[in-house]
Amino acid sequence: MSKISRRAFTGIAAASAATLAFPSISLGAVPRVVVIGGGAGGATAARYIAKDAGGAVHVTLVEASKRYYTCFFSNIYLGGFRNYASIGHNYYGLAVNQGVNVVHEWAVYVDSAAKKVNLGSGNSISYDKLVVSPGIDLKYDSINGYSAAVQDKMPHAWKSGTQVQLLRNQVMNMKQGGTFVMVPPPNPYRCPPGPYERVSMIAHQFTQSNPTAKIVILDPKPKFSKQGLFEAGWQKHYPGMIEWISSEDHGGLKNVNASTMEFETDLDTFKADAACVVPAQKAGAIAMAAGVNNGDWCPIIPTSMQSQADENIYVLGDASVAKSMPKSGFSANSQAKVAANHIRGALTGSKVFDARYSNTCWSLIAPNDDVKVGASYVGGTEAIDVESKFISQADDSSDTRAANYQESIDWYNGITSDMFS
Amino acid sequence: MKILLFVIFLLTSFCKFAFSDEHLDEQQIIAMGDIEYGEYLGSECATCHIQTGESAGIPAINGMDAEVFVALMLAYRSKLMENPVMQMIAGRLNDEQIGSLALYFSTLEPPK
Repeated sequence: MSKISRRAFTGIAAASAATLAFPSISLGAVPRVVVIGGGAGGATAARYIAKDAGGAVHVTLVEASKRYYTCFFSNIYLGGFRNYASIGHNYYGLAVNQGVNVVHEWAVYVDSAAKKVNLGSGNSISYDKLVVSPGIDLKYDSINGYSAAVQDKMPHAWKSGTQVQLLRNQVMNMKQGGTFVMVPPPNPYRCPPGPYERVSMIAHQFTQSNPTAKIVILDPKPKFSKQGLFEAGWQKHYPGMIEWISSEDHGGLKNVNASTMEFETDLDTFKADAACVVPAQKAGAIAMAAGVNNGDWCPIIPTSMQSQADENIYVLGDASVAKSMPKSGFSANSQAKVAANHIRGALTGSKVFDARYSNTCWSLIAPNDDVKVGASYVGGTEAIDVESKFISQADDSSDTRAANYQESIDWYNGITSDMFS
Repeated sequence: MKILLFVIFLLTSFCKFAFSDEHLDEQQIIAMGDIEYGEYLGSECATCHIQTGESAGIPAINGMDAEVFVALMLAYRSKLMENPVMQMIAGRLNDEQIGSLALYFSTLEPPK
């Protein structure tokens, strides 16, 4: 009984709040939200605003690709654990189930004074609130000798898509007993454990198809995410195959030569038979065009994900400066819900709740040996602050590690449903 | 009538809150819940707990009985149940938040 009365009350309260708090929005005008980028941040934001507003907000999602291949789980594909099609998703669910206006175009410019997004076709879309969730762009020139022109010879494969398929082909076709060189990016970058899960997955593939192959990691950093867990796993599953060389030992990558496949460091020059080179990163270009960046990334207000530069623009995911929150699909999805709640509140007067975030990153080291790290966060006055955190333990049972892997598959199905259904 | 029901609800909630022991039972916790808040908090759950069907390891929670939901969350919060992700999620939820989530998920269609 109390459930019914409370629900009725909530409806009345929300309706009253809307009337009182937003007299400036004229009757009949449906406020417009434009979301740029259909990944974990943008698709989730579009879905939650449309779903929860129930027609009270008009949502347009601008995403160039008709099919979105997730960056998360692309390593699992590289390891041969799933096919490429299984990490691809379309936007029909958002259009059909949620009524989102999905526009497959590039957003090329944001006129924040006029509150308009210009599209590649020359058309423009007006907004009351804009969500910018463009992911990353690569700073190709952060590595001497590397460029977009040689990215097919040494794939970065850091934005999913055909680059990941290319890398898989190069792994499969590497000569027997050859050397694979992995160059992880410097901080901060998308998916902190990603390069090391990638090495694990390529090592697993080599145990199946190229058991005498070697992997050399030329890291620009002196340490990395879940290092102890990865190194123990490599020792256990791939003894003698993987050599991680810290920046303190190789002294820095001086040059890469895509023609000779050579990597020059102070320590030595390494010759590769296949390679993955992931350069430094920055927020996607449209964030710069919108003027919400400060340098390479976009500062946000931690309680709402609003840009510090423009209260009508929200920046989600990798492009934002979320400080202690890693750049991950899970983080972007979590941030999108805080932003969606805030945007809906601003436009319709619905209740705005406390900003709470969470993240978990699963990494597969070998079949049924999966480790995870995660944290919960709150929107503080200065930054998004860690509330609590956990990490897999070195002495976890094999059952726990296997359960982690199953959990990661369920998470994949959960988050992609949460983004696209 | 609705206003009367609401006043009764407020009074009963207040009495339970004011005179209860430190540890509330499942029904008392559900009574503290707010369904709209539960919907917002529940968006965090939807990242892993698939909303459109069953899954193999992470259970579906749509349509879960509210008391069972509360009992499970209390067990994770007190670390009686083991999963570190759930211990973290439940660890930062207060009784009102757990009650809100329980109410919200109990109203959803269970997976077919």
